[in-house]
Amino acid sequence: MREYELVYILQADLDDATTDGIVENIETLIKNSNGEIDKVERWGKRKLAYPIRKMNEGYYVCVNFKFEPDQIANLKRSLGYNENVLRYIIVKKA
Amino acid sequence: MTDYKPNGNGSNRRYFSKPKYCQFCTDKNLVIDYKNTDLLMRFINETGKIRPRRQTGTCAKHQREIAQAIKNARHIALIPFTGDVWSDSNS
Repeated sequence: MREYELVYILQADLDDATTDGIVENIETLIKNSNGEIDKVERWGKRKLAYPIRKMNEGYYVCVNFKFEPDQIANLKRSLGYNENVLRYIIVKKA
Repeated sequence: MTDYKPNGNGSNRRYFSKPKYCQFCTDKNLVIDYKNTDLLMRFINETGKIRPRRQTGTCAKHQREIAQAIKNARHIALIPFTGDVWSDSNS
């Protein structure tokens, strides 16, 4: 198990219920692969530094979690399938 | 500090009064983090480029970390790739 940090950007024009749904969805995604979530931090709506998919705003969420290193590729794939996730980044915590 | 001399190949690098010591080596509490936009903004110029070591005065080790952090921050749109949107997008 290793500590990781995931930051992802959701579309800002979704209503609160769907946003919550996706955030929970991603949490269960991590838990289903035997991951442990330490902290979920919602930065909320922020202006993007440059437009992504012609959108100027994004909903930022930061997740600190523990995960098996060989499962990270699967997690990345499932994040990529999610249409509402504009961008994500997974970094190892030092 | 004033030992500037032209480097012979015709390029005239502008002189910057760079700090004498790496600020991350001096201040151990200062952590390089790709989420810390205010810190990283100091290490890019108006066009969004990463500022060179001769301007920022950071040591090689920390310059590498800074460069990686800036690249990560660019990817998640915290920092622009180009400086165009810089002035008006500062939250």
